[in-house]
Amino acid sequence: MLNYTFDWSVIWRHPYGGWLLEGILITIQLSILAWGIALFLGVIIASLRNLPQKWVKAVAAAYVETFRNIPLLVQLFFWYFAAPELLPYSARQWLYQNIEPTTLSYYTAIISLSLFTSSRIAEHARSGFSSIPKGQYLAAFSTGLNTLQVYRYVIIPYTIRVFIPPLTTEFVTIFKNSALAMTLGVTETTFMSQRIDSYTFHGLEATIGAMVIYLLISLSVSGLMGFVERFLYIPGLIRKR
Amino acid sequence: MIFDVIFRNIHLLLSGLGVTFQIFILAWIGSFLLGIGLGVLRLSSRKAIYWPVTIYIQTMRSIPLILVIFGFYLLLPIITGKSMPSLVSAVISFIVFEAVYFAEIVRGGIQSVRKNLIDAGYSTGLSYFQVMTFIILPQAIKNMIPSIVTQSVVVFQDTALAYVIGVKEFLRITTLVNVREVRSIELYLFAALVYFCICSFGSLLARRMEKRYGG
Amino acid sequence: MSKNNTIIEIKGLNHWYGNFHVLKEINLETRRSSCVVICGPSGSGKSTLLRCINGLEVFKEGDVIINGKSVSQCFHNHKELYKLRSKFGMVFQHFELYPHMRVLDNITLAPRRVLCLSKNEAEKSAMALLEKVGILEQAYKYPANLSGGQQQRVAIARALAMNPDILLFDEPTSALDPEMIRDVLKVMADLAKEGMTMLVVTHEMGFANAVADEIVFMEEGNIIEHDDAVTFFKCPKSNRAVEFVDRILVHI
Ligand SMILES: Nc1ncnc2c1ncn2[C@@H]1O[C@H](COP(=O)(O)OP(=O)(O)O)[C@@H](O)[C@H]1O
Ligand SMILES: [Mg+2]
Repeated sequence: MLNYTFDWSVIWRHPYGGWLLEGILITIQLSILAWGIALFLGVIIASLRNLPQKWVKAVAAAYVETFRNIPLLVQLFFWYFAAPELLPYSARQWLYQNIEPTTLSYYTAIISLSLFTSSRIAEHARSGFSSIPKGQYLAAFSTGLNTLQVYRYVIIPYTIRVFIPPLTTEFVTIFKNSALAMTLGVTETTFMSQRIDSYTFHGLEATIGAMVIYLLISLSVSGLMGFVERFLYIPGLIRKR
Repeated sequence: MIFDVIFRNIHLLLSGLGVTFQIFILAWIGSFLLGIGLGVLRLSSRKAIYWPVTIYIQTMRSIPLILVIFGFYLLLPIITGKSMPSLVSAVISFIVFEAVYFAEIVRGGIQSVRKNLIDAGYSTGLSYFQVMTFIILPQAIKNMIPSIVTQSVVVFQDTALAYVIGVKEFLRITTLVNVREVRSIELYLFAALVYFCICSFGSLLARRMEKRYGG
Repeated sequence: MSKNNTIIEIKGLNHWYGNFHVLKEINLETRRSSCVVICGPSGSGKSTLLRCINGLEVFKEGDVIINGKSVSQCFHNHKELYKLRSKFGMVFQHFELYPHMRVLDNITLAPRRVLCLSKNEAEKSAMALLEKVGILEQAYKYPANLSGGQQQRVAIARALAMNPDILLFDEPTSALDPEMIRDVLKVMADLAKEGMTMLVVTHEMGFANAVADEIVFMEEGNIIEHDDAVTFFKCPKSNRAVEFVDRILVHI
């Protein structure tokens, strides 16, 4: 082992501690915003795939395939470097003059993260729909429930039960994926840890510090979602059975 | 949009794609083997094995890959005392990181093998190791094939992250060409298309297998 | 019966799953070459008892002596445990053939890996066993392509391939269609006639009546009744056994 003296204080010393805190804040903002948009888009796309029209289905399927099968990093670069070039000259001019580069990269990151995650959420939602045994519909209708009731009391609770756990996973995943925003210069946690490296040459400590931060975020998010899960589906389901 | 920029730089781009595949294959083999080991160990009833493996897996699952890549990039020179090629550093990061995802698949696969089938093996006098090798793992791997293919697509996508420590893989080469040519639309579309084709092929394969093996 | 004719001796066997007392103070002696049928309602611990006998279950109290050798002594020594198990053949309700191996490979796996027989030797005796159970022509098929009765006969051949001293059957015909049950029971009856020691968990009272030397009736982890077959069917001692036998006989 080379003689390397650890200096863990780079994690909290002024100004580095402040940087990390700022990074955490941006990581959380970015992730929650993107997750909200992704959930909205994902459920819509999944519903579109359930419609009878062939072409609607095809478009929705193409959406999912596209955003799922291209690495997030490539999508980020595409939206950041290439997409503005597709705009007319005047619009591009306006964009670059009126919007701060940091703001631009922040929103690009949100858009990319949302699109990427929405395709994955759409897949989960769809398998939630399709995991319902046909017999459930038959059984529910045979007891004389109307369509609305069948959905309200049988199908939707069932779907939610299947849908919530992967949703939790995606929520944890989006925090991790948001780290890629650093490549556009978004000053989130990972970016800050590497900035500390370039200022102090104690990047290993900063990197490990950032790992611990993500670990704590993951633990809290899973804990929170575990609570939500219990709250959301167990009462409904146990009564149902 | 004129795609001549692609043809002009096709040699460079292809060499980048070659490096991407090189990383992918090394990372895949390494992480798959390590994943089998971790997955088997995680089912151990011995606390001294179960807990360290579980903590390792859960930790890796909670942190971003990009940090693991930075971490090894900074750590390896310190422990080896010499500078490491960034490609080696990246491959090690991928192996260590992706293995835990394979481990979880392996664990699920092993647990999906019926208990009596395992007893059938034991009842003929096979040892733990033999039951694992000849009965459980072949069964488990067959059940796991769709998930393994899906995870392999993820690994392939993740290789793009080697970009951040300067490995000259496909995405890095694409940006380098863009710096020279300033044709971002064509270049990034091309990169997206290449990744898309390869990954959808993998996804398609996974879906086929899911149908075939009854998922 | 002289003492050295005893092949299985169960002494004060107790087992728990968590707080649940599955086997309560089981005592049982089995003579060499006898066929013992174990019956009783589902959940009474029959499967668990079989699994304790060949050391698949690490039981908590008491002991099982096989050929004078203590099973609980083997729990600390994996090699001994594997050796002990290889003295048994076991047949399961759902066959448990290895679906990724052809019939022949299913049978030769243990002889090759445990007894270290050559591929040729192992296959030759496997073929002989397949002939014995009457499905020689299925040797190169995969289990999924066989009928239930054929699969169960493969499973018996697999159990026999290790030249076991004792065969354990856990409801071998419960998952079979009626017309296939006969073929399997026929194979089992032949084995009993040849002098194989057999412990059979089954609800086939016809088989029990015709083939079994002794009947053990279990309920809630206890052995309620243990008789020779004639006594058990002519004048069972316990009411529960009477009820059970009646119900099953009516059912058949
Ligand atoms: N691995 C296990 N863990 C907990 N309980 C078990 C386990 N295996 C069996 N049991 C319970 O033990 C009891 C006896 O089971 P078993 O021996 O399979 O009964 P039988 O074969 O007579 O139907 C049952 O109540 C069953 O639920
Ligand atoms: Mg049973």
